[in-house]
Amino acid sequence: MRLAAFLLRRLVGLLGVLLGMSVLIFGIIHILPGNVAYSILGEFATPAAVAQLEAKLGLNDPLPVQYWRWLSAMLHGDLGMSIVMNRPAASLIGEALGRSALLAGLAFGLIAAGGISLGLYAATHRGRASDKVLTLAQFVLIAVPEFFWAILAVLVFASWLNLLPATGYAPFHAGVADWAAHLVLPVLVLSFGLVAHVSRLTRSSMLEVLDSRFVLAARARGLPERRVLWRHALPNALLPAITVLAIDAGLLIGGIVVVETVFAYPGLGRLLVYAIERHDLPLLQVGMMVVTAIYALANFVAELLYAALNPRIRVAGAAA
Amino acid sequence: MPLSRRTLIGSSLAAATAVAVRPAHAAANVLRIGISTSLNTLDPMMVTTGDEYIYANLVFNGLARMREDLVVEPDLAESWSFSDDLKRWTFRLRRGVKFHDGQEMVADDVVASFRRLLDPAGTSPVRSQYDMVESVSAPDAATVVFQLTIPYGGLADILTDRQVKIVPRSATAQLATQPIGTGPFKFVSYTAGDRLVLARHPGYFESGLPKVDGVELRIIPEMSVKIAALQAGDIEVLWDLPLEQVKTLSARPELRVDSVPTASWDGAILNNDIPPFNDKRVRQAFHLAVDKKEIVELTLFGQGVETISPIPPSHPFYAKDIVVPKADPAAARKLLAEAGHPNGIKLPIILPVGRPVRERLGVTLQQLAKAGGFDLQVQRLPYSSFNAEVSGKAPLYIDGFFARPTVDTSLFPFLRSRGSWNERLWHYSDEAVDRALDAARSSADPAVQKKNYIDMQAALVANPASFFAYSVNYACAYRKSVAGVKTHPMKWFDLRNATLG
Repeated sequence: MRLAAFLLRRLVGLLGVLLGMSVLIFGIIHILPGNVAYSILGEFATPAAVAQLEAKLGLNDPLPVQYWRWLSAMLHGDLGMSIVMNRPAASLIGEALGRSALLAGLAFGLIAAGGISLGLYAATHRGRASDKVLTLAQFVLIAVPEFFWAILAVLVFASWLNLLPATGYAPFHAGVADWAAHLVLPVLVLSFGLVAHVSRLTRSSMLEVLDSRFVLAARARGLPERRVLWRHALPNALLPAITVLAIDAGLLIGGIVVVETVFAYPGLGRLLVYAIERHDLPLLQVGMMVVTAIYALANFVAELLYAALNPRIRVAGAAA
Repeated sequence: MPLSRRTLIGSSLAAATAVAVRPAHAAANVLRIGISTSLNTLDPMMVTTGDEYIYANLVFNGLARMREDLVVEPDLAESWSFSDDLKRWTFRLRRGVKFHDGQEMVADDVVASFRRLLDPAGTSPVRSQYDMVESVSAPDAATVVFQLTIPYGGLADILTDRQVKIVPRSATAQLATQPIGTGPFKFVSYTAGDRLVLARHPGYFESGLPKVDGVELRIIPEMSVKIAALQAGDIEVLWDLPLEQVKTLSARPELRVDSVPTASWDGAILNNDIPPFNDKRVRQAFHLAVDKKEIVELTLFGQGVETISPIPPSHPFYAKDIVVPKADPAAARKLLAEAGHPNGIKLPIILPVGRPVRERLGVTLQQLAKAGGFDLQVQRLPYSSFNAEVSGKAPLYIDGFFARPTVDTSLFPFLRSRGSWNERLWHYSDEAVDRALDAARSSADPAVQKKNYIDMQAALVANPASFFAYSVNYACAYRKSVAGVKTHPMKWFDLRNATLG
């Protein structure tokens, strides 16, 4: 029962966040300078043509009217049209989201597995040469932005070694090898910085746990080091790692915009950049809502996981 | 040749890895072109960007087409004739032309395509360019008649333009998603941010063409990645190469780089309506203050040529015999003093952020014009806000225009008093220029047109409207396996004869 109440409260909170974000997104988007009529008409945008197109697109209505029209259509399951491309936003975003999810899913798996295992390795080899080398590498990876790694990777693997395709995406049905080859560089670049981030954090939280009294007690009782590490220290050290992974899911979305642009990968990030450049507000609004929902859901799942691993949270949350 | 077991294993391993990691992409006979941005629209009537023009010219045909040497030739029309007063034009259509869905193209399709373009309630961005068309009619299935409101000698020429393509009258509603045309290639699929896929149109009206099985336009925004893709063979053609890359890539043995003159121009827009450029002497002083040749070197790395008006020096109508006064900063300062600015002029110059060549032009002008008494303060604004905030309002800013298919359409709206672009850019008015422009468009005789356009350029030197800096080159890079493609000054491609070696 307590768990159900906990879930319900979090779910209501989630909906509130989404509603609030819809107002915020709508507001920010309409403050952006520029005008979609100019981007549709391009170099042929005469004042008369602009005025006519704006009227046709309903851009002259008051903002609250436009907001309400958008929100109610969305609640009815109608995500609207991309006004620049004149295509349904739902299918554009759906296809792009699928491809981004593939990229993000693979990267997230790599970040979780790579980050935690490297962190554990570094913690158990504290102060040794391998730990120092890892630390240095981690700082470099965190400090240097993704677009640098992306361009470097293209130059080395595509241009110089000619091993992997420089850009783009190959559909699965066109051949598994081709499909996989197109994913290698984007996934690696997307994971680089975050693997370093997660492993830094895992290392320090593991070190903290290893220095704590209950680990000392376990060792004093003569338990094998293996068992101390895996059964006593690891579950406690993982809790902060999970929070960080949830935050990283958000950072991943930011990284995806950069990586998709450099590798010309047709995902949600590029679609958003396109929508911003062309002032395609309906497309941008829906895209932003999808990103918000993903981020909110990732946090929701992280909280559930946290609660499952650490009963104290659940109890405290229910009692509050 | 002896073949040891180790080399055998080694080479088959290498081959296996090569196959696994770097498989042959798609079909072998598909030409892949790297472009810069996603297409906004698949409706040929709505195209406004260079990337879209490529698509429109592969999938659709107009009544006439323009070759790479700028000669106009029949396309869907077989021939045309005009009345003596140049107000009634009759086009005879080619018979047996099939749309991609198998239907035959007839005169009703042509009429429907133009009515759609000219519809006052429609959204065509270029409608005003065809406002001399009073009516379009089809006396029979193979004849189309245009009735004009004014005598106009260039109608066949403007029908080569990018937005006036013939679409099936029964399928206009699906043009945004499943476009149908008569062109050498038919639409297969489009993924925004990724690629546009086209396949050979087997029923294309010129038998044996096109030669390749398909074309892919690959959308790659990042230039360094696009160049890497070209070098790796992921694409065969790199469209619109930045001019600073021309020399570097020309040195590559596997590539061919083509840089051709165009009628696209950049310039400093001088507002004739407000001070200081409402004074002719100040406009003359600005032209005397800087050396256009130096600007071409500094801004375009030599990939362009200085010009008087939007007519490029590569065009037969360019006034090559007119003497343009040499740069003379002292004379410029003297003129400024006569105009009431003894200490020179200090004013802002606005540059478009995101248009690197034009930004370079602005900075170059700012440096060079100092000697002539112009103290320019650089201000940078996003190009997307130019139309709303800068055009026709600021006294001085940098802009430029893409080549238009005819001299008349490149000049008349820009320099004729109260022309549509004139009113949005510089508000210029000169009787001699007006007279020459009117006379040129009401003749279909190239000799008469040439004489008038040369008069117009002379008048423009005497009384400058604005600062036309240069006609800019346009460059493409090709892998040497590509043959049968010429670089088109209008920045689209004719790929009917393209082959892949």
